[in-house]
Amino acid sequence: MPAMSPTMTEGNIASWKVKEGDLFSTGDVLLEIETDKAQMEVEAQDDGKMAKIMQEAGSKGVKVGTRIAVLAGTDDNLSTLTLPAEESVPSPSPQDDLQAGIDDSKSSRSKAKAPSSSKNENSPSVNTSKPPVPSTSSGKVQKQGYPLYPSITQLLHENGVSSAEAEKIPASGPKGRLLKGDVLGYLGRISSTYSSEQSARITKLGHLDLSNVEPAPPKAMAPSQPSKAQARKVPESESEPTNTEIAIPISLSSVISVQNRIQATLGITLPLSTFIARATELANNDLPRSAATGPSADDLFNQILGLNSVSTRTSRGNYLPQVSALPETPSMERADLRRQPDVYEMLTGPSSVSTRVLEVPRPGITDGSKTGDLSNVFSVSAAKGDEKRARSFLERVKTILQVEPGKLVLLSEQVDR
Amino acid sequence: MIRTLIPRSASRSATRPLSCSSTLQPTGFCLYTSRNRGYATEASEHDLIIIGGGVAGYVAAIKAGQEGMKVACIEKRGALGGTCLNVGCIPSKSLLNNSHMYHQILHDTKKRGIDVGDVKLNLKQMMAAKNTSVDGLTKGVEFLFKKNKVEYIKGAGAFSGEHEVTVNLIDGGEQTLRGKNIFVATGSEATPFPGLTIDEKKVVTSTGAIALESVPKKMVVIGGGIIGLEMGSVWSRLGSEVTVVEFLGQIGGPGMDAEISKTTKKILEKQGMKFKLGTKVLKGDSSGDGVKLEVEAAKGGKAETLDADVVLVAIGRRPYTAGLGLENIGLDVDNKGRLIIDEQYRTKLPHIRVIGDCTFGPMLAHKAEEEGVAAVEFVKKGYGHVNYNAIPSVMYTHPEVAWVGQNEAELKEQGVKYKVGSFPFSANSRAKTNLETEGMVKFVADAETDRILGIHIVGPNAGEMIAEGVLAIEYGASSEDVGRTSHAHPTLAEAFKEAAMATYGKAIHY
Ligand SMILES: Cc1cc2nc3c(=O)[nH]c(=O)nc-3n(C[C@H](O)[C@H](O)[C@H](O)COP(=O)(O)OP(=O)(O)OC[C@H]3O[C@@H](n4cnc5c(N)ncnc54)[C@H](O)[C@@H]3O)c2cc1C
Repeated sequence: MPAMSPTMTEGNIASWKVKEGDLFSTGDVLLEIETDKAQMEVEAQDDGKMAKIMQEAGSKGVKVGTRIAVLAGTDDNLSTLTLPAEESVPSPSPQDDLQAGIDDSKSSRSKAKAPSSSKNENSPSVNTSKPPVPSTSSGKVQKQGYPLYPSITQLLHENGVSSAEAEKIPASGPKGRLLKGDVLGYLGRISSTYSSEQSARITKLGHLDLSNVEPAPPKAMAPSQPSKAQARKVPESESEPTNTEIAIPISLSSVISVQNRIQATLGITLPLSTFIARATELANNDLPRSAATGPSADDLFNQILGLNSVSTRTSRGNYLPQVSALPETPSMERADLRRQPDVYEMLTGPSSVSTRVLEVPRPGITDGSKTGDLSNVFSVSAAKGDEKRARSFLERVKTILQVEPGKLVLLSEQVDR
Repeated sequence: MIRTLIPRSASRSATRPLSCSSTLQPTGFCLYTSRNRGYATEASEHDLIIIGGGVAGYVAAIKAGQEGMKVACIEKRGALGGTCLNVGCIPSKSLLNNSHMYHQILHDTKKRGIDVGDVKLNLKQMMAAKNTSVDGLTKGVEFLFKKNKVEYIKGAGAFSGEHEVTVNLIDGGEQTLRGKNIFVATGSEATPFPGLTIDEKKVVTSTGAIALESVPKKMVVIGGGIIGLEMGSVWSRLGSEVTVVEFLGQIGGPGMDAEISKTTKKILEKQGMKFKLGTKVLKGDSSGDGVKLEVEAAKGGKAETLDADVVLVAIGRRPYTAGLGLENIGLDVDNKGRLIIDEQYRTKLPHIRVIGDCTFGPMLAHKAEEEGVAAVEFVKKGYGHVNYNAIPSVMYTHPEVAWVGQNEAELKEQGVKYKVGSFPFSANSRAKTNLETEGMVKFVADAETDRILGIHIVGPNAGEMIAEGVLAIEYGASSEDVGRTSHAHPTLAEAFKEAAMATYGKAIHY
């Protein structure tokens, strides 16, 4: 059972995320542990295979240090594997966790050379835990998640220390890195606490020295001029994002005559919506660039250099016009369709709300069959700065629908085959 | 080709206010204006307001923009980049580089087999080259602002409330901003010398020294720190007779290792600069044609008068917070004028943080930059970090001087036992090939653990080479770790490796 915090003494196994025989890779969640305080995931620190689970999910009050499972190397054959004997007693300093095993440099054999000085730190602690600070030093035993430093590799080989054993050496370096000094201390060449004391000193150097700050003597308070009195309200309208609705009346009479001709010659009825959809499609091509998508890096730079000229670039739009029939006759209905100004607007809004003459389109397309009026209002909503783009779009829709609707049919045949 | 048409954004709000002023739109367009209300109050409040567009401020602004914060940066200079880009690091390095080339063509190319005819200095053009670099870089920052949606407000900001900054706009008028968070990054200014009036013509700070219109015959530099030595070098190379007066017993400031400082002084003396160490300036008089300075040995002794056409005052820089309205919200500075902060850069009003030259720590651009990022991370993520033990210092003289970590004197003072390993460039193959063999690399490592405590270099390309030293210190490496790492041959960096080897064992080539 890994100690997930310095004070943890026992924990429950909430669930296993791997089954015996499963392969896992570094960072995979192996199991979930819960304590009275929290639920935590235990991640694999190395690639490997789950050899055996000793404490099933649901086990409660498992003491820190008790073996809960055995991990094997990725290539190990589980059927021929002998599991290492469990360490006798879970030691009071919680260090052990999942006990790795198998790749036999990794546990049982590696004990031989450990100096007697620091017995607790030597029990095979592998993977998955962040054991708490040993009492003697601030170094932590931590699996080194990156290649060992060259000096350390050299020292380990010279002294016959296995890399598994090296993982048990308390590491005092930045972010828990194992340093040459840690290994020297472990080997008994220098005091075992020296390296971590040094680390503490150097860590302190890493911070701004804010001790002994002497405040300046208070100055005679000058009457403060730029005080709150001058604070001005930023006019709201400046920062308010504004969308503009742009509308244009378009007559569908040409479209309808084309529609009728097709009906007459081919016997197919192409719905008006198809014409409009295709016109929309065409009109969206190569529109003046949107202000909202922002200029390209080159544009920005040119702007700063004052070379504003070359923004002739275009891009495809994605406007979808709203089509509504113009009202048949001016009537009282119109006033009702108008949105009532709300309180906010009455207080702050432009007075135009009440005086404006509105031509409110009715929703829906009219083919004018009943009224003889073939005009519909096409509208799109344009973000601030995009009005020109939206207008070009509508102008094109208008041209296509009023002047050359035949093109739409040809196109449609090409496309629909 | 036609793509299938699917309604992309067909939703049309039913409650949108409609206003059609067809009378105003003779083309037949109707304009319906829809406003997103309820947004308005937040819209005028920024997540972050930054006062000062120097390195600390602009980096924080870009970082905040990248983090999706609504951020505004206020700068009164009319250009971004602060001291560093406008009158500091960048212009000084431009002049250092180009004056070095001039000097080299005059004195050094002949022995390399390059005979150059008439060499003439065109100071105007050299200044224009400098301005081109400065402009390019400051506009580059402006570009990055646009790219990262940072609002750039040109004017001088002052606190008008705890969450409120009033900007006196350069283009006239005033604007008040509200911010959830406010960063102060107002930088520093040259410390004036009492009794000498700066006119930036005869008595100059570094700002005047990067813009002199002619090469002064005689120049006296008060202060032998990095800025003084860099600017002194420039004018010395261009033909001035330069004398550096320094109060302390060594040049380069207290951070420079004493041995390195001595070596550097010798090299600079060979180049023609003169030094008066342990000397204090008593008073000056700039009323006549030139400037007269009265100096005497710091420990008392004979007084002496120095004549100069231009005096550069380079005795240090001090935090700049004038006009910021600190008194309006009761923020404190310490006895050196630094805004008082905690480890997370917070003032006593925790939403106001301070970064860069106007607060504690070394006055360096890259330190300011690290703080800019860390402070935004504190706001956004609750955690940020700058390792102040791994911040390099570089002096861009020729050769360059660079260091990181602690020097011998500092370690002695702390009672740390250390060992030293050094390697001279005269034994480095590339330096020999280049005929640039002055200087050395020096490691200081713990006597017990071999952990690198400091690295000090004087020599060609030291400023680039120190990056490896910073990395080593950041990672807690030992000299052996560096010594066992392959360095390409033939490079100057091999001297770095060999100095490391000399620290834990023996260098091969020395
Ligand atoms: C000659 C010289 C050479 C240098 N060379 C180097 C070098 O090689 N390497 C290095 O690391 N460092 C160098 N420095 C130091 C470096 O320039 C500073 O450390 C760095 O600029 C600090 O950045 P900052 O953002 O804290 O302050 P600054 O760069 O000083 O920026 C502060 C900005 O805030 C603005 N400001 C102040 N008050 C207000 C206000 N109330 N409202 C609006 N704006 C305001 C100022 O106009 C200024 O632009 C050099 C300095 C000098 C003078």
